[in-house]
Amino acid sequence: MEHWHQLINTALLGTAKKPVDSTGMNGPLQQAAHTILAGADTDKEDKFLQLAAVLYNYRLSGTQPVTANVAPMKVCPPETKPYCKPAAIRVLQQVLETESIQLLQLWLEYCAKANVLLPPAQLPVMLDKGWRNKSLRALIAATGGQRAEWLGHFNPDWNFSRVADTIEDRWQNGATAQRFEALKELRATDPVMARTWLEQSWPKESATVKTELLSVLEQPAHPADIPWLESLLTEKSKQVKETATRILKKLPGSSLHEKYWQIVAGAIQLDEYGQVTVALPEITDDSIFQSGIEKLSNDKSITDETHILYQLISFVHPARWEEHFNRNTERVIALFQLQESLKPFIPALVLAIAWFEDKARAVSFMEHSETFYIDIIPLLPPEQQQQFSEKFFDEHPDSIIQYACNNQEEWSLPLCTRIFKYAATQPYTYNQQFMNNHIRQIPVAIAATLDDITPVEAYHTGYWNNIKVHLGRLLQAKSQIQSL
Amino acid sequence: MNLSDEQVLAMAPDESSRKSGKDLANPAKWVSKGVSDIALWGECQGSGSKPYQTQIDTGNMAFKCSCPSRKFPCKHGLGLLLLYSRQRASFPEATPPSWVSEWLAKRAEKDEKKNTPATATEKQPDTSAQAKRQQARMQKVSDGAAELLRWIKDLVRNGIMDMPEKDPAFFENMIRRMVDAQAPGLAAMMRELADISYFHDGWQSVFITQLTRIYLVIQGYQHLSDLPPALQQDIRTLAGFSTSQEELKEQNGITDTWQVLGKQTTEEDRLVVERYWLYGINTKRPALILQFYVRGQSTIANTLTPGNAINAELVFYPSAAPLRALIKQQVTVPANHTFNGYAGWQEVVTAQTAINEVLPLYNDQVYTIADLTPVWHADQWWLQDSRQQLMAMKKTFQHTWKLLALSGGTPLHMAVTGKETQYEPIGVWHEQEYKIL
Repeated sequence: MEHWHQLINTALLGTAKKPVDSTGMNGPLQQAAHTILAGADTDKEDKFLQLAAVLYNYRLSGTQPVTANVAPMKVCPPETKPYCKPAAIRVLQQVLETESIQLLQLWLEYCAKANVLLPPAQLPVMLDKGWRNKSLRALIAATGGQRAEWLGHFNPDWNFSRVADTIEDRWQNGATAQRFEALKELRATDPVMARTWLEQSWPKESATVKTELLSVLEQPAHPADIPWLESLLTEKSKQVKETATRILKKLPGSSLHEKYWQIVAGAIQLDEYGQVTVALPEITDDSIFQSGIEKLSNDKSITDETHILYQLISFVHPARWEEHFNRNTERVIALFQLQESLKPFIPALVLAIAWFEDKARAVSFMEHSETFYIDIIPLLPPEQQQQFSEKFFDEHPDSIIQYACNNQEEWSLPLCTRIFKYAATQPYTYNQQFMNNHIRQIPVAIAATLDDITPVEAYHTGYWNNIKVHLGRLLQAKSQIQSL
Repeated sequence: MNLSDEQVLAMAPDESSRKSGKDLANPAKWVSKGVSDIALWGECQGSGSKPYQTQIDTGNMAFKCSCPSRKFPCKHGLGLLLLYSRQRASFPEATPPSWVSEWLAKRAEKDEKKNTPATATEKQPDTSAQAKRQQARMQKVSDGAAELLRWIKDLVRNGIMDMPEKDPAFFENMIRRMVDAQAPGLAAMMRELADISYFHDGWQSVFITQLTRIYLVIQGYQHLSDLPPALQQDIRTLAGFSTSQEELKEQNGITDTWQVLGKQTTEEDRLVVERYWLYGINTKRPALILQFYVRGQSTIANTLTPGNAINAELVFYPSAAPLRALIKQQVTVPANHTFNGYAGWQEVVTAQTAINEVLPLYNDQVYTIADLTPVWHADQWWLQDSRQQLMAMKKTFQHTWKLLALSGGTPLHMAVTGKETQYEPIGVWHEQEYKIL
């Protein structure tokens, strides 16, 4: 190629400054160059162009493949599971077109349950989806097979998929998403062992991974974790400390919880005449505020003391009131409702019931309350959740929808109809993206009655109709996933 | 007819048709639909009161729709075909309704007419006037070529160092001059010169290569009578003379089962160029079908489906190394996954040298090559053959990951396009099936 480079150099400068010559040429090429350069009736530019033509054709005629020592590529091990059937791939294409991550999750769940793999041609698209959406990673790892792991070696963004069959294997050798899922699975059956696994691997983990894995211990928080969690409060990473603190706040018996309770118990007293007095003593322990309790109220009508007490009550286990007042649940609730000094703290008590996921007290509270508290709804038995959601829908439509969206269960047809009737009046809020994000909860059967749902305002019709068409596609794809 | 989503979507004329076609692959959109041995049809509820009637001749893969779209195939055609490929069972087998059967009958009649030789009563062209016009054009092109040569020589004399700073008008004026000189081929070659990315390393070599090609065409044209007849045709084509398709169709073609290996689409100033790469299973020869249309004004009669096969008679355009062809007659047949091809790169370069010997200005070719493995080496992807020889994959190739996923580190038979040292896979044989990339 030396001669071609020489030619380019001449071209850059121009033949007026640097006439073309035969530098770097030999053999027949040099012979041809000499003939061209010796031409008497051609100018310098002709000579250049003729030589360029010769060199160009010399290059084209003599192209050779490269022979290089390439390190042999690691061949992907064969798969042990079958690929999903072509019908499932056709459904996958439709799912991908909707751009709904939830629908994709449903499709992957089908594959994982059927113990089948994604065919190789689909892997790049799916691994890319997993890279962009953490929620898909464990499922893609479960269905990507050896080929997905193999591809991860070439693209670090895709390095979240490892082949691991047992829960221990996934914990030991999996990518973070797989380890998270393995730990979560174990936590549900053996909480102490799950913590032991995490404790053992703790020194080897990075701060980000520590934070992610530690959050597993929150569901459910376990009293046996308290000593270890408290030891984590000296960790360097702020995120790790915050996560540990959050979990400790959920554990009655932890130092933090007891500190909160001591202040609350000191501040709220029941006298011998059955009257409750509220007086917050001065808090000298800075660790209370360092744990996230705000010192100042944002609302002029609420004093700083009330604001502090409100926050502390919302982090104290509701059972403590029964011991403190020496009354059963119903009577404690009644006390909060009847005593003027306690009335402002009823929402804090509701928050505490929700924070500690205290299902029994949630039922008691709703039985004795005239007011609707959305935070408690998820703790009620399913039939009551349904009943309360429908009963209070018109009063708190947005809150009920928000709760329904947070709940992973599929909505009942009547609730879904009410949600959509409301959504039709607010199509800019409850838009196509909303439908994409909640298709898991939307029952397929709603498709039959979608045409009966129309917006109140005429100017919403076009926008709602577009949402309806999109929803139709989502429901069609969901129904096809269910029929696979 | 057994088409995958990818194959159907590959027929779309543009991205928006592809998207709209996907939206219409929804049973709720279709008031009625049906299928027979030779056709597929459906009525799609659009914005008007009457549904659009969409019909597809599945034998020749031809589309017709009553919608006003000038795209081809329109979104309704794509949507219907996509829906059929996904939910075949939802299409009842039936006798085509009258609006379908009438269209099919008209098509059959047209085909028959095409195959009937022209009668003597048809008006004979005035050959002497034709020759005069031809002579005048040849002179115009010759003058244009001479002017272009002067321009090139000026460039060579003054050096190309300042090319990146040149005003676009520097090239535009000469491109317009070539159009005026009735040399659209030279104008297109100049356009390629203007479009070189002057901000990338190595533009100098690309520039001189293209300049040399233009120079070769000019020289070829100016010494046309000295060249072998077949090469004369190539030079005329490169200068911009077209070949009469009607005359070509009167010639005998080559009948074979042709695999449609892939489709590449490029667009320049709303002119869309579709390149279909074909390979004859029995004749073991490649072919290139070109289709041109202005965006949104497509009038193509037939659509080839990448990954499928056609039984067709192809007439090749006259050339020293015939590649471009037109389809004289075609019938879509089930996909044929037979592989025939070269054993490795050495055979490919030998074949290229043979082409270069007779056509020193050849363009991208299609090759089917056995056992190629994508490998990462020296910061780029290569295709390694069974003798461990490498050729670089084009940097613009967009489906590296899909190729890698299909390969898994093992060799695959591949169809590639390209020339010299840069190639782009367009399909692979994977688990005994040809798959487009």
